[in-house]
Amino acid sequence: MLDFGDDLTPLKLTLAREQIGDYVRAANQVAPRFLSEEGGKKDGLPGQIAPGNMSLAMFSRLLEGAAPGAEVRRISATFRAFVQPNVALLVNGVVTDVEEQDAGRLLECDLLLETEAGDRMVTGTGTVFVPF
Amino acid sequence: MPSPLNELELDRSLIGQEFERSKSKPVTADQLIRYSRACGETAACYIEDGPDLVANPTFAITLHRKKWVPDGIPMDLMYRGMDAGKDVEIGVRVRVGDVLTGVGTLHDIYEKTGRSGNLTFLVLRVSVFNQREEMVAVIDQKMMFR
Repeated sequence: MLDFGDDLTPLKLTLAREQIGDYVRAANQVAPRFLSEEGGKKDGLPGQIAPGNMSLAMFSRLLEGAAPGAEVRRISATFRAFVQPNVALLVNGVVTDVEEQDAGRLLECDLLLETEAGDRMVTGTGTVFVPF
Repeated sequence: MPSPLNELELDRSLIGQEFERSKSKPVTADQLIRYSRACGETAACYIEDGPDLVANPTFAITLHRKKWVPDGIPMDLMYRGMDAGKDVEIGVRVRVGDVLTGVGTLHDIYEKTGRSGNLTFLVLRVSVFNQREEMVAVIDQKMMFR
């Protein structure tokens, strides 16, 4: 059972260009910057980027991995740098508070999406309910 | 240094006013499964059609909207801003057949002073409800202006 100060099980992943394209099409968020290197560069970006909403989805996966039946209640994210394809990423979290409830426990967590090289791309917090 | 808020000439009376209301078509299993797969989900409740299928918790973000900002805020101003982050409160899960309604409001305008000077933040809120008027999500998007 997770408790104050415990780490969530980290996610290790690398976003493929096609996966970002699939995401923005499924999320009604199609824009050139999310679809190709050229599209990103036309917008003055380093190349293709992932939308911030995709980082929220990664935080959601991390939080739901806290325990079987876990339900995400809140996610907050601050976008600090562009998340790009073909970069090895780590999604981490740590429990910062625990509230006992009748049917389970509410975990407050600090969240971080960083590159394997340690560059902090997205920081955040989240709340997840873990049933007994 | 002049306040960025003055430079941006934002109308504070817009705070709290509804500026947009969008309604989805009934959500399909294909939509839910495509979105969850694109998020990298592998749990059966997210990617297998059937009575237990539910939406990924962030699905409400995908709601198509007619307008992103109130009429009093010019779009060219928004292009000068940076997406500073999102806060999402998640309510009841979306299921196949649900019809979602999103209500857009300008939730807040505030300033912060950072190392690089004054920053102004706009918070655009979308409250999403299902056909039973249950809260599905409240999404706050923060836009930052230098």
